[in-house]
Amino acid sequence: MEGKLPSEQHILSAFDRDLEAIQALIMKMGGLVEAAIMDAAVSLETRDEELAERVRKEDRQIDELEELINQEAARVLALRSPAATDLRTVLSVLKISANLERIGDYAKNLGKRTSVLVQMAPVGDSGGALRRMARAVADLLKDALDSYAQRDAELALDVRMRDRDVDQMYNALFREFLTFMMEDPRNITACMHLHFIAKNLERMGDHVTAIAEQVVYVVTGSLPEDSRPKGDRTSYVAPEVEDD
Amino acid sequence: MEDMRLMERTLATNQVKVAAKGVDVFYGATHAIKDVSVDILDNMVTAFIGPSGCGKSTFLRCLNRMNDTVSVARVTGDIRLDGEDIYDPRVDPVQLRARVGMVFQKPNPFPKSIYDNVAYGPKIHGLARSKAELDEIVEKEAKDRLKEPGTGLSGGQQQRLCIARAIATSPEVLLMDEPCSALDPIATAQVEELIDELRANFSVVIVTHSMQQAARVSQRTAFFHLGNLVEYGETGQIFTNPRDPRTESYISGRIG
Repeated sequence: MEGKLPSEQHILSAFDRDLEAIQALIMKMGGLVEAAIMDAAVSLETRDEELAERVRKEDRQIDELEELINQEAARVLALRSPAATDLRTVLSVLKISANLERIGDYAKNLGKRTSVLVQMAPVGDSGGALRRMARAVADLLKDALDSYAQRDAELALDVRMRDRDVDQMYNALFREFLTFMMEDPRNITACMHLHFIAKNLERMGDHVTAIAEQVVYVVTGSLPEDSRPKGDRTSYVAPEVEDD
Repeated sequence: MEDMRLMERTLATNQVKVAAKGVDVFYGATHAIKDVSVDILDNMVTAFIGPSGCGKSTFLRCLNRMNDTVSVARVTGDIRLDGEDIYDPRVDPVQLRARVGMVFQKPNPFPKSIYDNVAYGPKIHGLARSKAELDEIVEKEAKDRLKEPGTGLSGGQQQRLCIARAIATSPEVLLMDEPCSALDPIATAQVEELIDELRANFSVVIVTHSMQQAARVSQRTAFFHLGNLVEYGETGQIFTNPRDPRTESYISGRIG
């Protein structure tokens, strides 16, 4: 699908400025979300209540940006009647901002649970493991946003495949928390919170995947056809009989 | 993929009304239409879009041999209406134009009553055997204010009168050359609504400079550029995901 994207400018240059402006807002929102993911994970590992509190507070900025993007996209649709790639760009802006907003919510939830978890004894090296998982998610998000900025469908498809790594990290943590809980019921409260954090990070990965799929849609005009590889196997985990 | 399947489905249910193959038009030394092939489907509105001078009106006029009236124009290729070659020497262009009607950019009612405007076509083509039958045809197309002069109507009403006049001969295909470019948005909407209703009985081909109009009223869109038919497809596909970069540039308002 090479040569698909018209590199020429619009005859009406204000149209170009509008499209650039809403996409700049997406990049700004993406940057804030990336930072929120890492800040939340670091606050958990370093038991930094203040940082966790900041992540919770700053989610409002992300929500406000989403609202602004919705308004701007509606304005472009109403005033410019975009067609073809322009139309797909505006539609993708709406979907990407919705996904970013959800990721921001999960980061905020991570901050909330951190405030509870710092009151309890740490469970193993769960903080480090979760931070590594958060890093993987933030890297995926960064690549997804780069693929959007550069209209790079190849990179977007790569992001979509790499979400499986995040799923596998979640599987491992799921089993680890299960083991901690079975070993000592006093771990249950903390492990429940930690499990939700892991699950939320895994969900963030799915939203990043949805963003990557929007990039493919903008560039090629259709969503990726093959179904996405799913790595989350925890739905099939049953209580194990004592055999190991 | 989805587009293709959708297209096959509609192609299966909608018959080809006008089939053009390898059509070239020359105006003297100017090569105005270059090897255009297109199937116009029955009961569908087909929009011809493209920049000024791209050949869309020229090609439209080939479909009812309006180019015959231009002495320097030469049309080659094959155009068939229901499988019948319309450029066959035995075909009477006047009879052909009763089957392939036309509405122009500027409403051009005859300076006669509304009744006479609508009755004109059926009368000259001998479609009504009696006055009663003629009345019936006119009643069907234009009910009230029959005695008033057609030129006393507003622009939008005049254009709808011209459409009524064009369809009074019960044509099978209706060609419209920018029928709304002289109308305000309300009159335009009324004409567009009428076009959508006409689709039930006719095959409609409309040349328009307004891409929004093509998007609103047509099911098929053909994009012409420099005398070539660049892309022809389902209107939704053309406006969301055109295959050709030239189509993309044109419909999104870029320099082509």
